[in-house]
Amino acid sequence: MYSALMQPLVQALVDGDQATAVAQTHQLQAAGLAREAIINAGIEVAMTQLDARCTVEQFNLLEIMLAGRAVMSVMKVLYPSDAAMLPSQGTIILASLEGDVHDLGKNILKMILTAKGYRVVDCGKDCPVERLIATARQEAPLAVGISGLITTVIPQVRQVRTKMHALGLTQIKVMAGGAALKQATAASLQVDFIGETAFDCLHYVETLSGGAL
Amino acid sequence: MNSLERIHAALHFQPHDRVPVIAQVFGHAAILAGVDLKTYVQDGAVLAACQRGALAYYDYDAVFALMDTSVETEAVGSVLAYRTNAYPTVQTYVFAKRDDLAQLHLPDPQRDGRMPELLKAIQILRQAVGDEVLVVGCVVGPMTLVSQLMSLQEALYLAIDAPEQFIQLLDFATRVIIRFGLAQIEAGAHLPIIFDPASCPEVIPVGFFRELILPRLKTIVSTFTQAGAICNWLHVAGNATTILPFYPEAGVAIANFDFCVDPARAMQALPQTCLDGNLKPLAFVDASPAFIADEATHLLQHFAQRGGFILSSGCEIPLEARPENITALVQAVR
Repeated sequence: MYSALMQPLVQALVDGDQATAVAQTHQLQAAGLAREAIINAGIEVAMTQLDARCTVEQFNLLEIMLAGRAVMSVMKVLYPSDAAMLPSQGTIILASLEGDVHDLGKNILKMILTAKGYRVVDCGKDCPVERLIATARQEAPLAVGISGLITTVIPQVRQVRTKMHALGLTQIKVMAGGAALKQATAASLQVDFIGETAFDCLHYVETLSGGAL
Repeated sequence: MNSLERIHAALHFQPHDRVPVIAQVFGHAAILAGVDLKTYVQDGAVLAACQRGALAYYDYDAVFALMDTSVETEAVGSVLAYRTNAYPTVQTYVFAKRDDLAQLHLPDPQRDGRMPELLKAIQILRQAVGDEVLVVGCVVGPMTLVSQLMSLQEALYLAIDAPEQFIQLLDFATRVIIRFGLAQIEAGAHLPIIFDPASCPEVIPVGFFRELILPRLKTIVSTFTQAGAICNWLHVAGNATTILPFYPEAGVAIANFDFCVDPARAMQALPQTCLDGNLKPLAFVDASPAFIADEATHLLQHFAQRGGFILSSGCEIPLEARPENITALVQAVR
């Protein structure tokens, strides 16, 4: 019912035009639209369009980063304080493991998951397995996501699920992505899922949480 | 035929005694020699000794004077963190705060950072192998260097938020690359490989590559050719399928294609360019020699009629690769 009103915002988000997206959000709020409506008919529609565009051959970090930055800026307008965010779809923990200081892929997934209503706990880069697991114990997430750009982290990746199971954390799924980890199979990495793109990981998470927003 | 003659034949789609094979053994040479990587990437003599050791052990067709992707940014002023058995990473980017670009220092390859050590490695290797084996130096490409000066995330945002400043930074990076590459050719490298993973279409759109990166690659390549590089070799890791058709315009003579690129599509995109690739790097760690041999044989059959092919991994062979798997790759052409 809001599609015509929302179209400029949707287009700005898909184009990664942060300034226009923020300006459009202010206009929509001034026109009396509730933030839930802006999320459902604006952000959600833009994310669906981006998802459709991100085939394996068309996916590129630049466009996703720009769209993600625009989405996060709109979310800040809608929820100036983190405490006032929508009820979470669930918690996801993300990390790049010890020795890997590349975190761009992880940051993109964080933006996408946040925009889709998940609470993301970011363990950062160069994160020891023990710290990741301690965080999982504390946060009880739906899944932990590991991004890996170098193959030398693979032995650490293989430890995560086994160590979590040993602690009784059998419900928590482990997903992986990134240039190095994408070369492997889920079985060989001892993880539950490997995503080609950040949206693949989102779709996997949605199967855990019972569907999209 | 010696290695150089064999590669020359592959470059020109001419008959050769066998297909050239170049395992992309960089830091693995240190592991093979029992040397820690931290020393390998900082000491040109050690690097050269390890590369010579790996050449003697595996008997492939090239040696690499290649440290890591942070040599140039360190020479400009970034601060690196070194670890014993991992490649160094940038701890503080020299251009993180988007300061005045005019303040950036154009490094002197004879003096700054580890550049002199890399030149030393080239001199030693060339002296050792002469024109028998290809001596490959290395520069990072312009997009990768910009990302190493300020982080990839910031570089991409800069390209959109302040395109003029981004272009100036790209031009600065191009000057650094040319200066370093020329010094490598002068030191004896047959060619510096241009390694530009940040130019992959998985990172930037094809139009971005065409408009901003390609013109600078053309300048770099033509400058290296004029300075005596025997040819130019471009290495864009990842799924580079959609930018391959631009390579001839840049003057690229050897095009690396990674494991995720379909060989048939690479051949179609580059009918007259020598291709090198494309075994999956991780397979050298977790597969068997029989698997590597099968994959290599399959690739050789694929290119048998066409020629213009160098058997290789799609990207760097991981540090922790099993030596018997590299041997299987090399044996596949014999």
